[in-house]
Amino acid sequence: MVSRREVLRLGAVTALSLPVLAACTTPEPPPPPDPLAALAKTARADAAAAEAIAASDPTLAAQASEIAAARTEHAEALQGEVDRERPPTSSSAPAPPDPAAPADPVTALTTALTAAEQEAAALVETLPRHRAGLVGSVAAGCAALREVLA
Amino acid sequence: MRTLQGDSAAAVQDALGAEHAAMWAYGLVTAFVGNELKEAVRTATSMHRARRDVTEVLLADAGQTPRPAEPAYVPTTPVTDQAGAVAVLVVAESDATVAWRAVLDRTDDAAVRKTALESLTGSAVQAAKWRRVLGTAPATPSLPGQP
Repeated sequence: MVSRREVLRLGAVTALSLPVLAACTTPEPPPPPDPLAALAKTARADAAAAEAIAASDPTLAAQASEIAAARTEHAEALQGEVDRERPPTSSSAPAPPDPAAPADPVTALTTALTAAEQEAAALVETLPRHRAGLVGSVAAGCAALREVLA
Repeated sequence: MRTLQGDSAAAVQDALGAEHAAMWAYGLVTAFVGNELKEAVRTATSMHRARRDVTEVLLADAGQTPRPAEPAYVPTTPVTDQAGAVAVLVVAESDATVAWRAVLDRTDDAAVRKTALESLTGSAVQAAKWRRVLGTAPATPSLPGQP
C-alpha cells in the first residue's frame, strides 16, 4: 500500500518534472530572421565589391572608395539596429569573401546600388517607425550614390 | 478619410514648409545659373512643385489646413554667382531630406510613408547632382536626412 506521504512526494516530483518535459517536447520555434540583417549583409557585400574595384581601377578609385565608405556606414547602422533589438549570441557576422573586380565596374556598381535601393525601399512600408526612417535613408543614400558614377 | 495624428501631421507640415522653401530657392537662383544648368533647374522646380501639391492634398485629405509659404525667405549664403546659387540649392535639398526623413520617423500611414520615401530619395539625388556641379566630395551623406 502506498502511504499518504509517498503519494504527496510522487505528486511533487511529477509536478516538478512536467515543465521540463514540456520544454523538451515543444521547443520554441526560432524567431524569424531580422529583415534588416539581410540589408546589412547586402551593404557589406557592396562595400567589399566597391573596395575591390577601387584597388584595381585607378580611374574609378575615388568614386568606388566613396561608395565603399557609404555602404560600410550603411552596414554598421543596420547591423547596429539588428543587434540592439536582438543582442547577438555569437561574435560578429563573417566578412564576405573578397570579390574579384568585375569586367564592367561602373555597370556592376550601378546595378548593385539600384538593387540595394529597391531592397531597402520595399521594406519601408512594413517597418516600425524607428526603423522606417533609417531604412529610408539607406534607400535614399543608395540612389544618391549612383550620381557619384554619373 | 486619412487621419494623421499630432506628430505625423506636424512632420508633414514641416516637410511642406521645406518644399515651399525649395520652390523659393529655385526661383531665386534662376537668374544666376548659366544656360547649361537651366534645364536641370526647371526639372527640379517641377519636381518640387509636384511634391508640394501632393503634400497639400495629403494634409487636406486628413482634415488639416496645409501650411502656406512664408511671405519671405533669406538665403543661408549670399547669392551673387552660379556657385553661390547652386550652394543654396544644396541647402534647400538637404533641408528637404531632413524634413522627409522626419516624416518616416513619425508616421505609420502607408501612403504618407510612400510620399516621404520618394521625396527623401528625390531630394537626396538632386542634392548629389548639385554637389557634383560644385565639385564637392563626398557627393552625398551616407544616410541622407539622418538627424
